[in-house]
Amino acid sequence: MAAFFNDGVIESLQAFLNLQLHPGRLINDFFAVAGIGGTLLNAAAVGLIGVILVYATGISFSGTTFAAILTMMGFGLFGKTPLNILPIILGVTLSARLVGKKLRDYIIIALFGTAMGPLVSVLFLETGLDLWQGVFLGFLGGTVAGFILPSLAVAMLHLHQGYSLYNMGLTCGFLSLFAASILKAAGLPFEPALVWYTTDILFLKLLIPGLSILLIGMALVREKGKAFRAFLSIQKQSGRLPSDFTDLESPGGAFLNAGLLGLAGSVLVLAVGGDFNGPVLGGLLTVMGFGAFGTHFRNSWSVVAGVALSCFVFSRPLSDPGPVLALLFSTTLAPLAGQFGYFTGLLAGFIHFVMVSQTGTWQGGMNLYNNGFAGGLTAAATVAVIQWYRNNKVEK
Amino acid sequence: MKRKDLILNLIGEISNYLLDENPMRLVVSLHQEEDGLHLCILDDNKHTEDELDSMRKALNSRKRPELAEYYGAMTGHDMLGSARLDLLGWQVKHSDVVQTDSGIKIDLWFGGDRFQSHQFTIPVDK
Repeated sequence: MAAFFNDGVIESLQAFLNLQLHPGRLINDFFAVAGIGGTLLNAAAVGLIGVILVYATGISFSGTTFAAILTMMGFGLFGKTPLNILPIILGVTLSARLVGKKLRDYIIIALFGTAMGPLVSVLFLETGLDLWQGVFLGFLGGTVAGFILPSLAVAMLHLHQGYSLYNMGLTCGFLSLFAASILKAAGLPFEPALVWYTTDILFLKLLIPGLSILLIGMALVREKGKAFRAFLSIQKQSGRLPSDFTDLESPGGAFLNAGLLGLAGSVLVLAVGGDFNGPVLGGLLTVMGFGAFGTHFRNSWSVVAGVALSCFVFSRPLSDPGPVLALLFSTTLAPLAGQFGYFTGLLAGFIHFVMVSQTGTWQGGMNLYNNGFAGGLTAAATVAVIQWYRNNKVEK
Repeated sequence: MKRKDLILNLIGEISNYLLDENPMRLVVSLHQEEDGLHLCILDDNKHTEDELDSMRKALNSRKRPELAEYYGAMTGHDMLGSARLDLLGWQVKHSDVVQTDSGIKIDLWFGGDRFQSHQFTIPVDK
């Protein structure tokens, strides 16, 4: 509705259709490509696919699905389109069938696995093939990627033991390394992409705070004081995967946490002078989504402080695209702080920023969850060191 | 997952939980049927009523197939943090947690879609 209200029905639909033929590799801000109406329509369509899948598979709405759908919508602002996510979902479905399971068993992998959408767009649009050859290759490549995702997702989970919330970021990043290597070997240049919308629009600034206030209001009306007590209990959880706050505490507490995180994130972006554009709104939506599935104030502040410290040490302005996104998405490492303390969180945030500055190039921008990739690597390394120390320290 | 691996992971997670309290005695009993299995675990530690309630809550949590299959793969694998009974709770068909004279007794029944509860010693009033 916001899309139609902003740009009109016809213009929004036209921009939305044009967007389907745009490569969505990191970082392509769709606001700069298709305008506000077309981009919001795209995000809504991507989110709607997620909602339909959840309904169709008979899964109950929960913290997990809340996180997945908000993340999908967020990335519908800079990379995901209905066209480039459907082959991935098909691939995961086929994978489930192969081992005698239902899609509902892998629904979380299917929803988050849509981070590989740009792989489809790259094969479709950047290989220089004829239209139908490109469409076929993109469809095939996306399906194959989706087919492999469940096996990799479980393996990656063991690597960091649930201490990085965006496990599919690590999974898709790992898979993208292979895809990018093959495509680079085939001669694809992979020119770095950075399309970043900088126009200051009040509506975009108010979008997340508005949504946050709506969630807070819903939580308080529905559960009143219980929501606040649940919110306080949530702050005591480590957040390690899988921590569904709607189950562990209450839906109201989880929504209150998500809403307050959205407000805090918006204030943070405003304070560092960041732009309120597709990627930043996507980051804020993701943080809010995971406010029901692992992220809260107590386990995330030290990680965010670690990123800020890293930017300070390496002289990177916090308002630049990389730093501002790392500030938001570094909260993937919140469980490390939740389990092992603030110093570990600070250190993890510091390393995370160093890593995320490099990982985008490695995977050719085809994995939209680049911070999840860097966060997963950081978590795996941190967990390995802690485990080695605990297992080998001589007990007195 | 092969049945042996599944059983090892289930025993690993529940044992990890109980071993945190350093019991002097831990007994794991396994009963297998074609479509399911029954694990009975006993220790010799006293557990508070609050702990028993939270164990019952975690082990009898609502069914979450989307979490059981994907995140359930972590069951019994990751020993760094505290043990998580909810990983077991999503997979269990039925569970009982009772305090005995000497310690705790946990009964866990697992099985697939064809699980037939009458083949196991699940209390009929449940």
